[in-house]
Amino acid sequence: MTDLDQTKYHPMVGVPIETLKPKKVRKNIDLTLWERLYIFEILRGLYVTTKHFTSNMIGFVVAPKGKKRSIFTVYYPEEKVTLPPAYRGRPVLVMREDGTEKCVACGLCEKICPAFAISIVAGERANADRYPISYMLDMSRCVYCGYCEEVCPKEAIVMSSEYEGLAERDRSNLRYPKEKLLRSEESVKDRIEYIRRIYSKCNY
Amino acid sequence: MLADLIESIAKIVFIFSVNLGFFAPVLGWVERKQSALMQDRIGANRADIAGFTAIGLFHSLADAIKVLTKEDFVPSGANKFFHTIAPFLSLVPAIVTFAVIPFGGHYKLFGHDVHLVIADLDVGILFIFAFASLATYGVVLGGWSSNSNWSFLGGLRASAQMLSYEVAMGLTIIGVIMVFGSLKLTDIGAMQVNFFRWGIFLQPLGFILFFTCAIAENKRAPFDVPEAESELVAGYFTEYSGLKFVMFWMGEFLEIVTIGAIVTTLFFGAWHLPFVSDRMLLSFFQFAGPNGANMLAMLVNIATFFAKVVFFIWLQMAIRWTLPRFRYDQVMKLCWKMILPLSLINITITGLVLLLWKK
Amino acid sequence: MSDLAKDLHTEHMVINMGPSHPVTHGTVKFLATLDGETIVDLKVDIGYLHRGFEKMCENGTWQQVIPYTDRLNYVSPLINNVGYALAVEKLIGIEVPERCKYIRVIASELSRISDHFTNVAASGLELGAFTAFLYFVEARELVWDLIEMLCGARVTANYVRIGGLKNDLPEGFKEKTREVFKTCRGLWRDVDKLLTKNRIFIDRVRDVGNMPADEAIAYGFTGPCLRACGVPYDVRKAQPYLVYDRMDFEVPIGETGDNFDKYLVRMEEINQSMRIVEQALDQLPSGPINLDMPYYRWQSKDDIYTRIDSLIFHFKTVIEGIKPPPGEIYFAVEGGNGELGFYLVSDGSGKPYKCRVRPPCFPLTAAMPRLMQGRLIADIVPTFDMINMIGGECDR
Repeated sequence: MTDLDQTKYHPMVGVPIETLKPKKVRKNIDLTLWERLYIFEILRGLYVTTKHFTSNMIGFVVAPKGKKRSIFTVYYPEEKVTLPPAYRGRPVLVMREDGTEKCVACGLCEKICPAFAISIVAGERANADRYPISYMLDMSRCVYCGYCEEVCPKEAIVMSSEYEGLAERDRSNLRYPKEKLLRSEESVKDRIEYIRRIYSKCNY
Repeated sequence: MLADLIESIAKIVFIFSVNLGFFAPVLGWVERKQSALMQDRIGANRADIAGFTAIGLFHSLADAIKVLTKEDFVPSGANKFFHTIAPFLSLVPAIVTFAVIPFGGHYKLFGHDVHLVIADLDVGILFIFAFASLATYGVVLGGWSSNSNWSFLGGLRASAQMLSYEVAMGLTIIGVIMVFGSLKLTDIGAMQVNFFRWGIFLQPLGFILFFTCAIAENKRAPFDVPEAESELVAGYFTEYSGLKFVMFWMGEFLEIVTIGAIVTTLFFGAWHLPFVSDRMLLSFFQFAGPNGANMLAMLVNIATFFAKVVFFIWLQMAIRWTLPRFRYDQVMKLCWKMILPLSLINITITGLVLLLWKK
Repeated sequence: MSDLAKDLHTEHMVINMGPSHPVTHGTVKFLATLDGETIVDLKVDIGYLHRGFEKMCENGTWQQVIPYTDRLNYVSPLINNVGYALAVEKLIGIEVPERCKYIRVIASELSRISDHFTNVAASGLELGAFTAFLYFVEARELVWDLIEMLCGARVTANYVRIGGLKNDLPEGFKEKTREVFKTCRGLWRDVDKLLTKNRIFIDRVRDVGNMPADEAIAYGFTGPCLRACGVPYDVRKAQPYLVYDRMDFEVPIGETGDNFDKYLVRMEEINQSMRIVEQALDQLPSGPINLDMPYYRWQSKDDIYTRIDSLIFHFKTVIEGIKPPPGEIYFAVEGGNGELGFYLVSDGSGKPYKCRVRPPCFPLTAAMPRLMQGRLIADIVPTFDMINMIGGECDR
């Protein structure tokens, strides 16, 4: 058993007792009489569940203010959860107004991806602008970690808040080519603002 | 003669339709919805017919269709005869015991004396216990005849548990029988006209013990050791599917109704409203003439009886979803070392009190 | 009784509670040799979830390891992140700003709360108390909502970076935390009323899985299981890291080390962790959360878009990885199950030479045969639940 009061330092741990602050949680080793008679605690347990039952029943009929029902469940797909701005959904490539991607095929996202899901083949346009000839993101390997968005120097790939439509019937459809990843800049405007805010200089 | 036949057939049809037609599907719905409301969730309510969801009642219909169209197999190496007959032995006692339970009193309808009980046997309660013992066979055979380790363990545990609790259950009832002086359930029900003569006031300890033993007999939580999902997959009905599985499952649910009915009859005043006697009820409905008054009184009594049964069904479901499960040796210890001595003490005290009261 | 048994031909039955079984949460195989219902011998087989974490770390750079550490103890991922980042920072010899330390403490404690909720809920479920399970799962959902607000994902958080954090606390975090904790405390009281004094529950978990304190230390127990045996060893108090020495919290200890003590210790730790989070939110200083060291921490996007030297550092650290000086380090943090240690060896290049994890639940699982000697088969369930073996951590 542990002697807590006799020495200043705890014998097994070597830390002073005042900083250690141990707290015994076991009030009694053997059962008390109240616990020994099953019935009182069973009634107390029934009281707890009945309380939840009645408050949920009443919550169906008379909904609490602001919510549709007092039960915790969100009735998907009729109701959807509001996602926070930080939510990391499917990675998408950002498109400029003329339809080309902002990506310059620098290859940083390819190098940092922990699941090795991105493959880029770089090329040059006539006006010496770099662009990816083929940008393949293998969604069956992507772990939605957000590193690609974090290292991109051009805000060309961001984590949108899409979480639907990620399943396919054929596994080869999961290797998304560039066309399937492009989204207009308008649709990911909020996310771009968010990443500018969190990665701004004031955090350093 | 013909009137008697019509009366019996009407009663049998009524009980069958209430039990199998109403309680069996609705109890599945009640279990889902009640547990959902206790656990802060909604429960199953997606099954719909033409876009009309009846708050989840169609799930019972979907269950029925699913069960009837499943493959019915017997595991290899299993004893086919026992495997097939075991569910029947589990389901039939649950339905048959309803034959002696009165769901109303005596009424004079069209010059005919109607007793609302299918078979008014002289040995009322003993009939129930006799048939409840047969349910043990269903479980034992089911566990043994499916050629599997887990089912075998489940069947072993179930047989020991059910046998022990039958013994205890019989002893707990003796106090009630001593107080009311008769084995016939109609007599016990009729004697509880006065609110303070209800069985719960005369035999409180007997009620607690009997309720515990009945839940244990039914193998519902906290005594569901034989079908403990997390230890033995599904216990003695692991190897059953389709209609046979549903028969086991329905037997369990119908036994909940039976236990509710027995407890109501013995301890909670059967079909009587509190503080309202039969004469008061008939005089209340005087405006409808003698036949009409009896009919209305009959309906009121049936409604009261079933309302009380519904309360006990709710209580058993609530107990199931609140309490954790016993360990197997603790189930045995509870029966032999706690309930049995307590029921014997109950009998002794009841006997003493009756002796002193008679003086 | 034994004379009778000599004449009967009895055999011990060997039951295989295989890798996929409703009760073994985590993929573990138990080979139980039974004599009736008593366990004569129990063999534990782990390794069904081995994914080669240590080998994968050698393939990637130091920053790429962080999403892999998420998947070690997947019910408390932020603690793994924090442990790894602290180990690498100690290897390099840098220290993060104050605000970052406080936010790391908040993240660790939120993860620890969700770990304990999951464990007590799973134990309740396997003992048959379905309602207690769902109440704590509801509480865990609310804590996960907080973590999602913080870093964008509920389980695979990927929040801590070497030299700082990914992002600062979002707006409205403090108010939401207070709301969530109010509901969580209400649900904690409900489950307490349902389970703690309930004789049915106590009978299942009391006096099962006892362990004397010196034997526990000999096996290598740490964490709630060791504290249940009566030894108040907590890495946050014994070797304080981050800002735990400024936090006022108690270390719950038990008496006998049985499952009931483990349950009580975990329930009390949930309360203490909530206290720590509230104190940290109150004491939170303002300031930067990342170090401004281009060699070790990716620069801010403002700099990368505008300055050429930041861009060059950015490219170098992403492609080649950060380069800690050669050496080896062992650093331990208090995980949900005990002392989670990282042993890192660096050879000066951008990839780790070795990254070994000391899983806290490995010695606990190894002690299962000793705990189960002479018990009934129904005792495997609460004992194994209370040990809280997480497959991802034990098998890596």
